[in-house]
Amino acid sequence: MALVRIEGDDLVVVIEGLNRLWAFKSSLTIPLANVRGATADPGITAEPKGIRAPGAHVPGVITAGTFHQDGEKVFWEVKDPSKAVVVELADEKYARLVLQVDDPRATVALVEKALA
Amino acid sequence: MVAVGRPRAFDEDEAVRAAVGLFGGRAYDGVSVDDLVNHLGVHRNSLYKTFGSKRGLYLIALRRHLADDVRPLLDALAGASDAAAALRLVTSADLGLLLLAAIERAPVDEEVASEVKAALAAVDRAIADALGVPADLAAALTSAALGILLRGNPDNAATALTRHLAPLT
Repeated sequence: MALVRIEGDDLVVVIEGLNRLWAFKSSLTIPLANVRGATADPGITAEPKGIRAPGAHVPGVITAGTFHQDGEKVFWEVKDPSKAVVVELADEKYARLVLQVDDPRATVALVEKALA
Repeated sequence: MVAVGRPRAFDEDEAVRAAVGLFGGRAYDGVSVDDLVNHLGVHRNSLYKTFGSKRGLYLIALRRHLADDVRPLLDALAGASDAAAALRLVTSADLGLLLLAAIERAPVDEEVASEVKAALAAVDRAIADALGVPADLAAALTSAALGILLRGNPDNAATALTRHLAPLT
């Protein structure tokens, strides 16, 4: 699971628990200026994700790490699709982050409010 | 035609128009990203790349609704000769997304709130100008018209209202 919070002018994502091993990352810091928006999107986990490197992908169990698709890099950290939130970025290494959060609605509101 | 900006694999204009229909028919919370992907002819990744988020698309769709559906109402209101005609125009306009936005999103989204406020103020102004009535009376007429639109003209409320308004307008 990912913890998403706002620290000053940054969006900070902290990967919790064992998943940080599979994701090869424990946290990400993105300037809010490079965050375009956040969307609760349970359906995204059913889509093709591209090629993983590095990270872990055991279909139906865990999707974590960096995935390459259509020339884009997407960071995934999702076990429970119903709690997936998509954070769209600009001018960053990752085109977007797909994160499992505790309360998708609250996370979306937090990010959108920080951008307003 | 000269292509401007990066090429897109879908017709953005058509996608936004389809989004107006979806959000106007099912409200913001009733439309999932799966619904958008299925109805807009847009791949999920393109959707995010183009609009940033569901909210980003919603704001563009709302502005499109104001330009496509509310703007023509303002033009028509300019030719309204009396309160009855103004009420008829407002109550027969396609204001689905505007009304849902006012109820569902304006209270929680400042950008939506300011679009809704500006659009309704423009309707007030159009009525005030066409009928030559004070701004507050025009706002009262807009409010009554929206209420009639929501309730489906109960007991010919529009007729009753204009009958009593006749000496004023």
